[in-house]
Amino acid sequence: MKEFLKVGISGVRGVVGESLTPSIAASFARAFASFVGRGTVVVGRDTRPSGYALQCAIAAGLESSGCKPVLAGIVPTPTLCMLARELGSRGAIAITASHNTSEWNAMKFIGPDGVFLPPNRADELYDIYHQGDFELVTEDDMTPAVILDSPMERHVRKILDYVDVDLIRKRGFSVAVDCCNGVGALSTRKFLEEKLGCKVVACFDAPTGAFERGPEPIPENLGVLCDVVRKFKVDVGFAQDPDGDRLAIVDELGNPIGEDLTVALAVWQVLDRHRKGPVAIHMTTSRAVQRVAEDRGSEVIRTRIGEINVVQAMLENSAVVGGEGNGGVIVPAIHPCRDSYTAMALTLELMASENKTVSELRGLLPKYFMVKDKIRAQGDKIPQTLRALRRRYQDRKINLLDGVYVEMEDAWFHVRASNTEPVIRLSAEATAQTRAVEIARTIRSEIESFLSGAEA
Amino acid sequence: MKTLRLASFGMRGFAGDSLTPELAIDFACAFGTFVEGGRVLLGRDTRISSTSLHAATVSGLLAAGCEVMDFGICPTPILQYSVERMRASGAVSITGGHTRIGCNALTLISSNGAFIEPIGGEAVLDIYHARNFLLQPWNLQGTLRPVTDFTRQYFDAIEAQLDAEAIRKANFTVVIDPVNGAGCRYLAPFAERLGLKLIAINAEESGYTAHDPEPRPRNAKQVSAIISHVGGDIGFVSSSDMGRLSIVCENGETASEEYTFAIIADHVLSRKTGTLVTNCCTTRTVDDIAHKYGAPVFKTRVGQAYVMSALADENGVIGGEGNGSMALPGFSRAFDAFLMMGLILESMAQQKVNASDLLLKIPRYHVVKKQVTGERHRCYHALESLLGQDHWNAGGRINMTDGIRVDWDDGWIHLRASQTEPMIRIISESSSRQRAENRAANVIRLLENNM
Repeated sequence: MKEFLKVGISGVRGVVGESLTPSIAASFARAFASFVGRGTVVVGRDTRPSGYALQCAIAAGLESSGCKPVLAGIVPTPTLCMLARELGSRGAIAITASHNTSEWNAMKFIGPDGVFLPPNRADELYDIYHQGDFELVTEDDMTPAVILDSPMERHVRKILDYVDVDLIRKRGFSVAVDCCNGVGALSTRKFLEEKLGCKVVACFDAPTGAFERGPEPIPENLGVLCDVVRKFKVDVGFAQDPDGDRLAIVDELGNPIGEDLTVALAVWQVLDRHRKGPVAIHMTTSRAVQRVAEDRGSEVIRTRIGEINVVQAMLENSAVVGGEGNGGVIVPAIHPCRDSYTAMALTLELMASENKTVSELRGLLPKYFMVKDKIRAQGDKIPQTLRALRRRYQDRKINLLDGVYVEMEDAWFHVRASNTEPVIRLSAEATAQTRAVEIARTIRSEIESFLSGAEA
Repeated sequence: MKTLRLASFGMRGFAGDSLTPELAIDFACAFGTFVEGGRVLLGRDTRISSTSLHAATVSGLLAAGCEVMDFGICPTPILQYSVERMRASGAVSITGGHTRIGCNALTLISSNGAFIEPIGGEAVLDIYHARNFLLQPWNLQGTLRPVTDFTRQYFDAIEAQLDAEAIRKANFTVVIDPVNGAGCRYLAPFAERLGLKLIAINAEESGYTAHDPEPRPRNAKQVSAIISHVGGDIGFVSSSDMGRLSIVCENGETASEEYTFAIIADHVLSRKTGTLVTNCCTTRTVDDIAHKYGAPVFKTRVGQAYVMSALADENGVIGGEGNGSMALPGFSRAFDAFLMMGLILESMAQQKVNASDLLLKIPRYHVVKKQVTGERHRCYHALESLLGQDHWNAGGRINMTDGIRVDWDDGWIHLRASQTEPMIRIISESSSRQRAENRAANVIRLLENNM
């Protein structure tokens, strides 16, 4: 099946050479320039080979519409978000398909506050794009692009200002990193070695954009990192996604603790040693995170799926920490976006201040088991499937904030349409693994029968 | 009024009006498809809009899988010279050339270094219109490599082409005005090779053309004003892509751009005679010079591509046009202001004469260049109607190689719809200034009625 261009809450996403072409990128850049007005716009990308051509197209589009592109080059998405705000720009465009495979790429739009455009603002931008009436300026009002030197400097400094660097450095941790051939390949080793005094072994650290493992930092993709952790007997393993916003952790025994627990450790450390306050997480984030927060007297706010929804809830409620169960840790005091570098620093700081190994820390977290699954489905079949599921469970404690979320005494499950792919996503969590697996299996077969029923 | 022009030579338009990045991307992608994702050289001039068009072109070429060799700011003739030597499938030059500020263009260059010929250019247009692009998947995207070291070879070749020893001995002081264009950064290496004392004005890569960038006397006033004060032996004014050149004499006299080609032809043919190729509206001075050396003259339609293709077909020794351009087929298939400057300096050095002496040596006519502006489709109509009207061409011989040319014994007139701007260009030349003026005025009156 040919993949179409997907224009939505997660930006403009497509397959390179098919649905995502440079001229489409230039048009979106011009729409963005028309939307934000004349001024600087920061442009950054991940390591995907298609990124440079798209960056050129975007720079051309921005210049012709009166914006001055500031080219940050290959940078983590959190760095770019921060630059958008710190440089006093009109906004930023991130060229990354995040955790999607190499043939995909995407443009994500960031506002002057350094936060991804919220849905209503993004809709305005897309309306401008579709109307096609873009700003076009003469040479008098054009400003050629400039290249930004050392783009990560501010980002790193902010993290180092937040954590107790001396405490971490004193421990001289040994760390294995898996950069997924992404942006981390250019910066993670340096960050850990030079700034946090770690000894680093790395895998998948060539910045090729041809991902040698599955790009999501989920356990099934971390086999090599686990081997490296065991072989080199390091204290911890860190796995990033291609654009460096998500982080998964492997304990010193070589076992992935599960990407949903990255946030649990960050919440723990922030609430215990930095600042008390509310915590915001999205609906499918593990209950373990909720328990960690509630045990420390924090209010927990649950949001719809999608980084921007969590960020908005955090800003509205002055949350001190939060994120997503996919390994996205957000600390607004550093910058309100998912950031694997912040997550690494907090994890190391927690290890140092608790003086415990990662497996010991994990052992102290509440025990939950999560199962995630996805079911391929055409977009037009999804609503009726969700509606059928909702009727099926209408007697239970049900939450319809985003898809169908059903809460039970010892478990929950959540079913929703993906924002990025033509799939239905399913998560189930329970205090016992067998129970989680069983729930997921049941729901999956129900969805499949609803889908085929919908087809009939 | 719309300003975009998409034709076989490339794409030309006005920044902020017709020339959008999407058009440039798709056009570059069409060219990348035409060369089947091969190696493409890329250069640009200093205009502000050139950076945006440059980025757009890069992205279009990369999407088609091309190996892009980026010369950055580079005169078009250096790019053209390099195409064959770097075994490239073609090149794209982003330059407004001699056109006014705000104008810009993507000029397509084929694998032999000449501007793309109509038949190839039309194939690119067909791809563009059908949107039949070669769009490569993520792992076959093109590559971009900056080229910084090739100019040395180019200037080696320039030096080898000339009697550099004689030029160096002459110790010339030269005033050059590259209109803040692509030539700026290449003037110093050029001067160094030939031992010139260089006085450069308007030589900042600012992106602003300090005056109308068409090299002709009215745009040579700055050079003319300073040349005698700085002890200059000769002055040159170039277009922003270094494709055209006009001369200022040591005494401040500004020579018509028509005489650039004439002076060089006089020098080149004196060493080796052979077919001279020029377009059908170049000064008769050139015919007289060719006649003097017994050289056959071959006339073409107006445009670098036509002259270059006739040079190859007719095995010519020199080609050029009255707009201040010249090419030596043994050197490259480009109108090249560096080579032109070198040959003029060589002529002065070998003959031990001043610039003004070169000008005195050649027969001169009175040339009147005028224009009648109007929408393009009206221009063609006005010219056609003119053919049915008597008297204005009485006693003349009509030739329609390109537009309308009428020859009389004492002069000629040429009328042609411009390919680059919405206007009819009129060139009238005669041994009598009054007659040249009268013929032009006569035709303008009729054309204005026809519009």
